[in-house]
Amino acid sequence: MKSILSIDVNTCTGCRNCEIACSVFHTKSFNPARSLMRILKDETRALIMPMVCLQCEDPLCKAACPTDAIVENKDGILYVERDECIGCMNCVTACIYGGIEIDPLNKKAAKCDLCWGDPACVKACDYRAIAVIEATAEGLRQRKQGIEVLAHLYDHESQEA
Amino acid sequence: MSFPYKGYAGHYADIDLTKGKVHKREMEKEWARLYLGGSGVAAKILWESTGPDTDPLSPDNVLVLGTGPLTGVMFSPSGRMMFAAKGPLTGVWAESHAGGFFGPEVKYAGFDFIIFRGRAPTPVYLLLRDGEAELLDASDLWGRETNVVTDMMREEHKDPELKTAIIGPAGENGVLYSCITVDIYRAAGRAGLGTVMGSKNLKGIAATGSLGIEAYDLDKYLEANDKEMEKLNNPLWTDSLGSLRNYGTTDLVAVINEIGRLPTKNHWTGFYDDADDIGPETIAENYRIGQEACHGCSIGCKYIYRVKDGRFAYGPAGGPEYESLMAFGSNCLNNDIESIFHMGTRCDLLGMDTISCGKTIGFAMELWEKGIITEKDTDGLDLSWGNVDSMVELVERIAKREGFGDVLSKGVRKAAEIIGGDAWKYAVHVKGLEASGQDPRAHQSIGLTYATNVRGADHLRSLSSLEELGYPDIVERRFGKEKTKAILDIMSPKHKGEVVKDIEDLYALVDSAVICKYGTMWPPVFYFDTFESVIAPLTGMQEWSNLRFVKQAAERISHLRRAYNHRLGVTRKDENLPIRLKEEAMPTGPAKGGLPDIDEMLDEYYDFRGCDRETGFPKKSKLNELGLEYVAKDLAKRNMIAKE
Repeated sequence: MKSILSIDVNTCTGCRNCEIACSVFHTKSFNPARSLMRILKDETRALIMPMVCLQCEDPLCKAACPTDAIVENKDGILYVERDECIGCMNCVTACIYGGIEIDPLNKKAAKCDLCWGDPACVKACDYRAIAVIEATAEGLRQRKQGIEVLAHLYDHESQEA
Repeated sequence: MSFPYKGYAGHYADIDLTKGKVHKREMEKEWARLYLGGSGVAAKILWESTGPDTDPLSPDNVLVLGTGPLTGVMFSPSGRMMFAAKGPLTGVWAESHAGGFFGPEVKYAGFDFIIFRGRAPTPVYLLLRDGEAELLDASDLWGRETNVVTDMMREEHKDPELKTAIIGPAGENGVLYSCITVDIYRAAGRAGLGTVMGSKNLKGIAATGSLGIEAYDLDKYLEANDKEMEKLNNPLWTDSLGSLRNYGTTDLVAVINEIGRLPTKNHWTGFYDDADDIGPETIAENYRIGQEACHGCSIGCKYIYRVKDGRFAYGPAGGPEYESLMAFGSNCLNNDIESIFHMGTRCDLLGMDTISCGKTIGFAMELWEKGIITEKDTDGLDLSWGNVDSMVELVERIAKREGFGDVLSKGVRKAAEIIGGDAWKYAVHVKGLEASGQDPRAHQSIGLTYATNVRGADHLRSLSSLEELGYPDIVERRFGKEKTKAILDIMSPKHKGEVVKDIEDLYALVDSAVICKYGTMWPPVFYFDTFESVIAPLTGMQEWSNLRFVKQAAERISHLRRAYNHRLGVTRKDENLPIRLKEEAMPTGPAKGGLPDIDEMLDEYYDFRGCDRETGFPKKSKLNELGLEYVAKDLAKRNMIAKE
């Protein structure tokens, strides 16, 4: 069964330790700008919005990639094959969730690969706001509940995923 | 030779504001090796570039922005940075630290330190971005409040994640205790560093970057960090951390009032009858809407408040800390919590230190009560205790330096000189810095901390929570079994000189690393061995894995800052307490009757510090042992060296 990340914004304090941990795992340096998880903050509205790849069932990024650089690993999780990526940004444009980005240093696409099985962000979160769960109907509901408050704040209609 | 160490961004910017020139330079190897970063390196820079002849508000003063090797790497709680300069409020060493996300971002933008010299001909701000430092026009930003400036900068650079350190109108107008507001609602609050920034026509600093920080030995560093985090997560500290997470520092209002140490009525007493009205439960139940944390911090003491309706309706915004609740609350006999939220936020936006501002208003209220000032002096404001309308109005007039607000904008020491008569008796300060929220009549060692703190009367250079909250195992481990009982006695002066010296050295490293006092001060988890295990694998400075070298570095920083003050004329007579805290026994509350034995503690402190009891001057042998020969030579020329 495929896994996904579920984030509870109610317990998230916006400390961004997940970003540091992600950058350590993927770049061997402390560099939140290269993290594949993004915690966006709006201090004047006291908003914290986590952005990370949703591991879509029907991935727009993969469909948009002209070089087939976005491929599945053994766990069924999509990752970017760096040598194949030409940095064209088609995937970034295609993803409507902001789940894939261009790395500011190597200028290639990068997305959450769940650390190939044991996500560093989950271990780094001392507030236990991030969890790895299975992509079942129940799991998807849990993930949605975690960000429900944002939908209310932004007055967005939410639908069953 | 290029800068060899990891853990640092590797560069600093030396900026001549007068000429508008930015010089980007490689970090100095010896700064890192001998002074670590933050306060230590700032002390070295200011020792070399400012002195007795430097007018703090002239272009000659030098403002240092500093980070440390632990800033922005994985270590909780390490999202901090600091500013230092010769202080305009006190005329002596001034440093102030702030949390948030700005410090790490300065490093990701490629800089460990920024040195500001001179004065810009017109208002400017500094943008740090991916290895570039650029001075930009700030004429549109001048005069505006701090949050508006941050919004405008983010808009201008199309970057909602831009991190900022900004002064408000108070800093531009020369209020002597202006702060630098960091990331909207945090502040490098104390000692008037915002005033120095304003005097340089520098409105702020903005940073954004994607240059990472590397570790010398990443795996070893992460392992060392895990061990330190395990210590922090020991079940022993679950209650302490739980309190910080659920209430933040507001919990201290209740805890401190219980031991009779909550400054009340301009420090007249240490017990406030209405403390519950401004305390943790009231805030949590009615106003707290969320928890916040600084960069990479697992403690998360910051909270967000909202006042839904009424004249003080506001928010969401960063909630006032313990010190602000004390300064605008108990200290002014004001139990209107919503007014305290309001004044705290106004101080963030106007750019003023909440402690000095609230303490100066409390001082004026006592002068009013005593009849030393009347409506003629206050431009018609009634300064009776707890008069919220007058307090709220005074905050605005101080920021604008209007009328009586101008007198109070100079802090209690100078205001007392202007007002004259007996006013000085009610000015509760050391070296010109208004006392923060403690009281040595209920906690002996904080008296020594106030007296010896290089920036004046506050707790952050050496407060000991060991006897305040009672940690027998830790006291025994650090100071030995035979001293434990006396040290744990909060009203005994015995061994407090040794304890305060030890903690001052420990905090010298905390302030240079740069990390937060939480985790070190309270709960008292991190100690010298923390630095011994994390600094070497992070930076590659192998000497730092030697505990003796670590402790020497700590002492070196402490002595250099002290020597900086000696050169400006500070001696034992300035390392003293105000008359109220020294001679008026605590009149009410659990600590009733208490008085500190400051002279006894000072004697012992000087002995442990390697200084002369009579003058406070350091011994040449001590300075030489620490590699501070250049300091010894300079002080010797001025006859400021202890006789041996």
